[in-house]
Amino acid sequence: MKYRFQVIPTLCTGCRTCELACAFAHAKDGKLGKSRIYPLAHAENKFVPVVCLQCDDAACVRSCLFDALKRNEETGAIDIDYGKCVKCQACVAACPFGCALVDNEHDEIVKCDLCQGNPACAAFCPEAALRYVPVEEGTAPWAGRRQTIGKLPPVLPPKK
Amino acid sequence: MVNLIINDKAVKAEKGEMLLAVIRRMGIDIPALCQHEAVEPTGNCRLCMVEITKKDWDGWKRCVTSCLYPVEEGLIVETHNPKLHDIRRTLFDLQLANCPNSEVIQKIAAEYGVYKTSFEVQPDGDNCIMCYACTRICEILGKSAISATQRGHNKVIAPPFGEEPPDCIGCLACAHICPTFHITWHDEGGVRVIWNKKFELLTCRQCGKKTITRDFAEYLVEKRNIPRDYFDTCDDCKRQETARKFGSVVIAAGEASL
Amino acid sequence: MFLDSIDKLSAWQKDCRKKSEAHKVKVQICLGPGCLAAGADLILKEFEKVFKKHKIKDVPLESIKKTGCHGFCSRGPLVVIEPKGIFYGKVKAADVAEIVEKTLINGEIVERLLYTDPDNNKTYTDWKEIPFYARQTRISLRNVGQIDPDNIEDYIARGGYAALAKVLKSMTSSQVIDEVTKSGLRGRGGAGFSTGKKWATAAKAEDTPHYVICNGDEGDPGAFMDRCIMEGDPHSVLEGMIICAFAVGSQQGFIYVREEYPLAVVNLQKAIEIAREHGLLGENIMGSGLSFDIKISRGGGAFVCGESSALMRSVAGEIGEPRAKYIRSVLKGLYDKPTVLNNVETFATIPVIMDKGAAWFSAIGTKRSTGTKAFSLAGKVRNTGLIEVPMGTSLREIIYDIGGGILDNRKFKAVQTGGPSGGCLPENKLDLPVDFDTLTENGSMMGSGGMIVMDDRTCMVDVARYFLNFLVEESCGKCVPCREGLFQLHKLCEKVCAGKAFEEDLKLMEDLSRVIVTASLCGLGQSGPNPFLSTIMYFREEYLAHIKDKKCPGGVCRDLISYVINDDCNGCMACLRVCPVNAISGSKKQKHVIDQVLCDRCGSCYAVCNFEAIDIV
Repeated sequence: MKYRFQVIPTLCTGCRTCELACAFAHAKDGKLGKSRIYPLAHAENKFVPVVCLQCDDAACVRSCLFDALKRNEETGAIDIDYGKCVKCQACVAACPFGCALVDNEHDEIVKCDLCQGNPACAAFCPEAALRYVPVEEGTAPWAGRRQTIGKLPPVLPPKK
Repeated sequence: MVNLIINDKAVKAEKGEMLLAVIRRMGIDIPALCQHEAVEPTGNCRLCMVEITKKDWDGWKRCVTSCLYPVEEGLIVETHNPKLHDIRRTLFDLQLANCPNSEVIQKIAAEYGVYKTSFEVQPDGDNCIMCYACTRICEILGKSAISATQRGHNKVIAPPFGEEPPDCIGCLACAHICPTFHITWHDEGGVRVIWNKKFELLTCRQCGKKTITRDFAEYLVEKRNIPRDYFDTCDDCKRQETARKFGSVVIAAGEASL
Repeated sequence: MFLDSIDKLSAWQKDCRKKSEAHKVKVQICLGPGCLAAGADLILKEFEKVFKKHKIKDVPLESIKKTGCHGFCSRGPLVVIEPKGIFYGKVKAADVAEIVEKTLINGEIVERLLYTDPDNNKTYTDWKEIPFYARQTRISLRNVGQIDPDNIEDYIARGGYAALAKVLKSMTSSQVIDEVTKSGLRGRGGAGFSTGKKWATAAKAEDTPHYVICNGDEGDPGAFMDRCIMEGDPHSVLEGMIICAFAVGSQQGFIYVREEYPLAVVNLQKAIEIAREHGLLGENIMGSGLSFDIKISRGGGAFVCGESSALMRSVAGEIGEPRAKYIRSVLKGLYDKPTVLNNVETFATIPVIMDKGAAWFSAIGTKRSTGTKAFSLAGKVRNTGLIEVPMGTSLREIIYDIGGGILDNRKFKAVQTGGPSGGCLPENKLDLPVDFDTLTENGSMMGSGGMIVMDDRTCMVDVARYFLNFLVEESCGKCVPCREGLFQLHKLCEKVCAGKAFEEDLKLMEDLSRVIVTASLCGLGQSGPNPFLSTIMYFREEYLAHIKDKKCPGGVCRDLISYVINDDCNGCMACLRVCPVNAISGSKKQKHVIDQVLCDRCGSCYAVCNFEAIDIV
């Protein structure tokens, strides 16, 4: 069974529980991780939890010079292979949603990895604005992501 | 699948895999300074040497660098023995003489019990251990802005003719991959300096934060087909923008999900 | 003549022989590197001038032959007058008129230019009888010094390309490989790998295309065999390569020539163009359907590019650095394709094996090292030059019979074989047969064939220091043991030479050497400590003398010697005048004295003293 990460902004109250959950979930060496999710206000008391969309044909994957970013077929997330990453920040600059981040505390590049298939933010969201829901058999969890947000920055031009 | 024996344990490995990857996967600690997954192995540091033999070799053994040696059926590998320990110790001993100030080398040499070099310390020794990680990574970019020049003990990693490297795009891949932090750079006042070349850093149109160099962005536009306007703002402002745009979609549609 | 069929070669050969026999007398002027340096070009000009001025009966201008190295370099410049083989050495331009008048016109001999054996005062007219030549067997050097390298007809007349014709006409590629394997030929570049086996592996390799490379990057100090073959007999190399191409199925060959051999490049290039013109290279060679061409690739002056993987990278236009060879270059070589890489001498030997057969060749030499090997004999030996002897000839025969013994009748101390990464063998090893395995067992190696003889005024620590210095400078610097290890080994060796070392340092040097040998990436590093290892093996007492007694027995290491004037001094003041630091005092006809504090041991006084009145202690 495959799952898809779902964000329902109308339910978000901006409580930032997800941020905390994320930071704890990615803590290591006795230090909190940098949160990969940001509930940001777009109008008064209206929030959108901005988090990596795990795009199909993602700009971060394309920009990576050393093939360090790859789709994890199990979880549907785009994962960073830290053995290959040299922290050049090409993905940070290229992501149109600003969801590839620099974690200065741990000196590494981070992005949402869907907690290896068990996203802590979804588990802790009190309003169920973040969900991890099963998808139909045979559908890729990330299929059609870009179409949903058609008014956001344009879909990447096809690869040359 | 290939079957082999590492430290008396039977293991399976993919054909074409290098010994070092298999050894590491087994959780065996073996030093390697020049190896990095992003680049092809070259075998410069020699620390990952292991002793190999086969049943039909009549007891003949051979030392090879595991980062470069592809797995073979029936291979019997030893990763730690007095001979290999001696080789690693001597290599650290030599490295300490060459890079007396490198904390990375000092730390890992100490793990092998080498605290002080037995050889003549190079007074002008820098931290470069000549692992070629930087030149190899630059080659992957298709730039090869820096390379190993001169030879023997005088060998240095440098741009062509020691001048500003015309092909460098200031991406810092070389500096970040350097295992001993020998390659340095600094960003100041919207200018990045590396290899004595100055680069203009892009400025976020909204908040003024500095991001990557203009040359690097151009490279990504041209070679990786990333739209140029993606580089106009920084990641913080792009998240803010995402929230704003997505919010307007939500308001227009009444309800939507990502 | 353009050869569009194999059969046309024999007719051409007859033509060439007739042409060559048309000249009753041939004046062969050696233009090898040694003779050229000694002024052979002036002699050639003088001969041409005299010939143009006086018409000599039966000896037209065309009978002057510019040949490659004749071999006896210490007697150069050489002029050999065939067919009688009259051998004139140390010829000066002023002697030319006399040679023309006496020998060419009147048929007399110019006695004073002949070779006289200093041991028994016997004078030789015919070069073939001189012990230096008489004890040699020349296979790879068969034509060097005998033919004009620019003239393919000379080569054809001496049976050139007949072996190729035989191969193309009557043999299959596997027969060729069988024949080479049976001959027992081992690579002449130094490692001594079986040439037949190498070819067989390449021929079987499925990946295409296959390449053939000739290694002409002869970088060892004191070695010049390959140079002389490339300069003096380029066609034999080409013929060997074409036969190899036929055997392994290659269409493209390369000759990698080191930067320092510009003449070899010129002569090879000419030979390649001439061979193309005659249908011996290019498309459809001699109408046989075999297509093969050769390109020359010039080195950039790096010793390490003689190493196979570095050489192939250099040919491909990359940085000449070795890479680890866990996949053999014969399967994945140039451009990662199957590649046969052989040495110049190996290729030059191939046509003879094809011509005379494997049995003939394997009957020469020893069981495991067949055939002959060319050496360049240099150092403190009377007869220096280019020689070729059957494998298994003892070092004593080479040094004393061919080489004529040690210069100035001094005592023999050691012979260095195998170039910088070879080793030094002492007097008690002089009766060792020279072959691949024996030399390796005794801590030296065959190498490409440099042989440097040293007398008792040589310091073995200094020799090790010198060769280590060479290797430190030539190390490519890629891997740590070679770059840092040899560097430190050299530093320690310098410490011994300066008398500042302790006995523990020897242990450190030995331990370090062992690691360099096992851990280095390529052959340069793996054999790099050999100069130290072989000298410490045979001359440990000399190291100890430097360390414990602070003395240099060879009288070489500056920090450990002093010059002292003995009672033979007759006060000629020669040394006093030459001393750059005014350390010598004394009046005329009185014994002089050297002030040891002022003396900086430059050795000038020792060099000028004609009375052996200065001792090195």
